Parts: sequence; structure tokens; C-alpha cells
Amino acid sequence: MSAAELSATAAVPARRPSPRFLASELRLVLRRRRNLAGLAVLAAVPIFIAIAVKSSASQPGADAPDFFRSITENGLFVSLAALTVELGIFLPLAVAAIAGDAVAGEANLGTLRYLLVVPVSRLRLLAVKYTAIVLFAFVATFLVAVVGMVIGLALFGGGNLTTLSGTQISFTEGLGRVALASAYLGCALASLGAVGLFISTLTEQPIAATIATVIFSAASLILDSIPQVDWLHPYLLTHHWTAFGDLLRTPIAWSGVVQGLYVAAAYALVFFLAAWARFAGKDVTN
Amino acid sequence: MSLLNRRPGLRWLVPLLAVIVVTTAGSVIAAVTASARDSLPPRSAAQLLVDVQKARLDDGLSGTIVQSASLGLPSLPGPEGDQSSSFSSLVSGSHTLRVWYAGPSRVRVALLGQLGESDLVRNGSDVWIWSSHNNTAHHLTIPAGSDRADPSGMSAEQAMTPQQAADAALKAITPTTRVTTDPTAEVAGRSAYQLVLEPQDPGTLIGHVTIAIDGETHIPTRVQVFGRGTTAPAFETGFTSFNASTPPSSVFDFNPPPGATVTEGLGGTGGPADGHTLAETAGATGGTPQVIGKGWTTIVKADLPANTSNGDNSGPFGNLTTITKSLPTVSGSWGSGHLLRGTLFSVLVTDRGQVVAGAVAPEQLYSALEAP
Repeated sequence: MSAAELSATAAVPARRPSPRFLASELRLVLRRRRNLAGLAVLAAVPIFIAIAVKSSASQPGADAPDFFRSITENGLFVSLAALTVELGIFLPLAVAAIAGDAVAGEANLGTLRYLLVVPVSRLRLLAVKYTAIVLFAFVATFLVAVVGMVIGLALFGGGNLTTLSGTQISFTEGLGRVALASAYLGCALASLGAVGLFISTLTEQPIAATIATVIFSAASLILDSIPQVDWLHPYLLTHHWTAFGDLLRTPIAWSGVVQGLYVAAAYALVFFLAAWARFAGKDVTN
Repeated sequence: MSLLNRRPGLRWLVPLLAVIVVTTAGSVIAAVTASARDSLPPRSAAQLLVDVQKARLDDGLSGTIVQSASLGLPSLPGPEGDQSSSFSSLVSGSHTLRVWYAGPSRVRVALLGQLGESDLVRNGSDVWIWSSHNNTAHHLTIPAGSDRADPSGMSAEQAMTPQQAADAALKAITPTTRVTTDPTAEVAGRSAYQLVLEPQDPGTLIGHVTIAIDGETHIPTRVQVFGRGTTAPAFETGFTSFNASTPPSSVFDFNPPPGATVTEGLGGTGGPADGHTLAETAGATGGTPQVIGKGWTTIVKADLPANTSNGDNSGPFGNLTTITKSLPTVSGSWGSGHLLRGTLFSVLVTDRGQVVAGAVAPEQLYSALEAP
């Protein structure tokens, strides 16, 4: 693998700002076997949900999330149910693994030095790393949604979609709503990626950065469930994540989604700048 | 850049600056728009009450209402706390409602839960109550002509002019309450008047009540109830967004989705059974409640129906008994019982099956029990 990484980094052209730097970084992220295995796990969840619901005679119980009970009505809900389930740990973990690896992984393998020999500014290096993380976040979310959609439509069929408000929208509009929800969650996870990128610049152990990022997301979820600190909730990264359900109402309730996007953008900006502040002045020893 | 190379620590100022910008951006925008708004001319309490009575929503409205309550109630058993989309969860925590209004016969209220929703839709003579969590739609039909009762009722009310009604209302509360107005309030980004009701009686737990009245439409847009000596409201319900224009008629369309359980009429799911037990309960409540004191420190004393004191959990008071048992025990010369010490009111259920309640401190409940 290090050979592949070396050849990939060697392919970075000198001086000329071109998309090839990003392309090589993406190739690196999306071709790593461990990342592919992670994506396969993410894709397995909707398949598992769909088969479990199809094969069990009884409907999902009264305590199941609302999306689960609608799966038998419309296959599109498999995507939403899978996204709801994976939002807790799987999707943040996948993004944390990539983001934690971004700088610390290179440092750990000793390839960061070679990267820095290439005459690109450290800011641009970080920007390319972060763009790759953002794209991965979207790939992961849409992979879950698309796999859920395909298996759901195959097992339960499509047709009009019943929104949370109890009214029906056409299949194409439903498809659009699911795509919107996935895009929103992609943005949410991309902001977690910025946190991961920052932590990744603090250490040379990629696994430590990944764990710290997951802890950050889990701690945010835990704080969000403690009513005594509700003054803190609007500022938490994960607080607005479930607002993707607001996209499934008629008419769409935008306020939660807009707040969620603002918080995501704020976290992304602050932590990307913090990553730059740390990385630009960092002594790279290996 | 050379400065940053010499002093790398300075780079940290950039993310720090970003934190300050993103956290204050919201309040700066709010402050700028607030100063850009025209200030409202001062109006007296009587004038405001007249305005409210004359307020007519010709165009209808749509908006979002956020309600939050920290009344000091024990958390209810079951999934009925925060973020629940069940209408019965409204007594505690924070909730978001969306409302659409296009005249009295076209109304929709949606309670937004986390990944769930309950709706109440009235479109003409049809009323639908939808719950996404239970996947149920309940249908009621309002008999034609029942709306005509409204104008006649209105005309009887209008025998008293709004001015007279406002004066009468103010006269009724002034001995116990200081009423002031404040034209500088802001609700849902709109200028609003605020009517402040301050109890004169120091015995009550209620510090003051504020009612915000929209400066343009004169519709009450927010109610806040403050405990004595607190700066955060114990109960608050108000618009966070407010749009005084006719909502599209499509929001009032409701057809039960396929797969949903549809019930009809006033009965429906457990309806008749509830009515039955409620009638029974009404018969079982021994005697009429006794009212002690007046004004803000009024205390209500009543006897509980017999079946709740012997621990029968099957009735509508079944949950109540469980909750009562979990409350702290208090005792005194009046006997002993369980006390609910809320932020705005206290409720005491004695072991003898009496219940006393009021917007007062527990000590006053004790003395009310001691009094014959």
C-alpha cells in the first residue's frame, strides 16, 4: 500500500494548480481496501433492514422509528430507515476513519515529508485533503441511500410516498426528498470531517485521530440527550442531524434544516482554520 | 506571511476570529434588523385590549410556534417527553408547532416530533387528526350550520363594545394586578407591544405574565409566565416565525394515506370508552371543589374520586396514582400526603384523598388544609 501511496504522491504535478492533486487523493481514498470494506458495511445495513422487514411476518412494533413502519408501504423508506440507523455510529465512524487518516496517516507512514517536498502550499494540501473528505462523506451517504432505494424498490415496490404529515407526494417528488435528505446528511458529516481533519493534524497516530473524532461525535450525541444542558443543544454539531426528517413533511419545514446547515458550515470553517493554524506551523519530522 | 512564519502562534487567531464571527453573526443580524424596524407608538393597556378584540385575520396566517415549559412536573412515563410528536406530550419540555390559518373553517396545526408528526386539520366540515407515529387518521364531521352559531354569539358579545369590554376586564384585574405596557418587544422578528401583568399579592409563585401583541395585526403572538424572582420564563409559547398572508389551500388538503388506520366519528379509538369513564369519574368526584382565597393566591380544594386512593390503576387516573406515589412525602398537623412543588404552582394530594392546588408556596396549601 505504501508503494501505491508513494506512486500516487509522486504523480502530483509541480506548481500547476490542477485537479490532478485532488484526483490522486480521491483515488487514494476510494481505492484503499479498508475504505472499500467500510463502504461495503455501510451498504450492507439497508440490505439487512429490507430483508429483515420482508422476511418477518409481523410489522415493526410500536416502538420502532416512524420510518421503519412505513417500509412495507414504500421501498424508499428503506433508504430513510437505513440513514436513521447509521447516523448514530456507522456514518460518523466512516467519515472519522477517513478524516483521522488524512494527515496523521501520512505522517505515520512517513509519506507526509514527501508530500511536503512537492511545491504546493500547506493550505492547498489541507484543502485537497478536506475536499476528498467531503466527497467521501457524500459518497458514503448516497451509497446508503441508493442501495436502500434499490433493494427497497425491489422488495416492496415504489409508488406515492406518504410524508410524515400524512399526505401523499408523487414517487419522483419522494425520490427528490430522499436525495435532499441524503445531501443534507452529507453536509452534516462533512462538517464532522473538518473536526477529524483538525484532530488528524494533532497526532501522528491515525487510529487515535479516528477514535477522538468518533468520541467527539458520540459526546455531542450524549450531551444532546441530556435535558439539563438544553442551552448547549443548538450549538452541538449533531443536534440538527435528525432535522433531515423535516424534509419529509408537507410542506417542508426548512428552519431546522437551515439551522443545521449553518451549524455544519460554522464547524467546518472553524475546524478547517484550526487545522491550518496547526498544520502550517507544524514541524514534520517523519 | 513572514510575520506568521516568525510567530506561528498568531495563526491560531484566525480560527478564534472565525468562532467569534459565526457565534455572533446571528445576534448581530438580529440587532441590525431590530434597529432598522420602526418603533411602535406607545399605547395604553386598555387601547391594546381593544386592538386585540378588533384584530381580524382577513388574510389568514402561517407560522411556527415554539412552546417550552419547565413547570417542575415529574417526567411522564412512556415516550412522551421532548421531541415526541404526541399531543399529550405538550405539558413538559420544548415543542414546535406549525400552524396555518385561512379563516375559522380552514385550520391546520402540526406538532413536529423528531422524525414524526401529529396533525389536526380542519377543511370545511371535515376534521382530521393524523398521527404518523401510530399511522392513524381520525375523521370527524362538523355538522353543517354549526358555524352559524359563531356570528350570533359574536353579536351578543358585541352588545358590549370592545372599549367597554376592555375597561371591564382591566377593572376586574386591577385590584390584584399591576398592568403595564411596553412597546419595544419583538416576537418572530416583528415589533410587538407587550402587556405585563404583575401580581400585587406577594404570596403567589407567579412573578409576572407577559402577553405580546403583534404591532401590525394586533394578534397575541407570545405568552410568557415567569416565576417570582426568575429571569427565564417557566412557561412560554410564542411564534418564532409569523407570516400574515393566506397560506396555500393545498396545506389544508388531507386524505388518509393508504395503509393508515382510519377511524370515523366522535367515537373511534377508545373514544366511547373514554367518554364512559369520564362520565363515571365526573359522577365519582365527591362534591364540588372548594375555592379558598381570591386573585392570584386562590387555592382549590377538592376530594379525589374514591377509586384513585385505593390504588386502582385501571381508570383514567391510573397513571396519576403512579405519579403521585413517586412524589416526595410531606406531613404536618393536617396529616400527610404527596407534594408536587412546581415552578409556578404547588399541588398536594393528601393520604385522605383530598387534593389542594394553587399558584402558591406549599406552606399556604398546608394552612388551607388546616382551615376548616
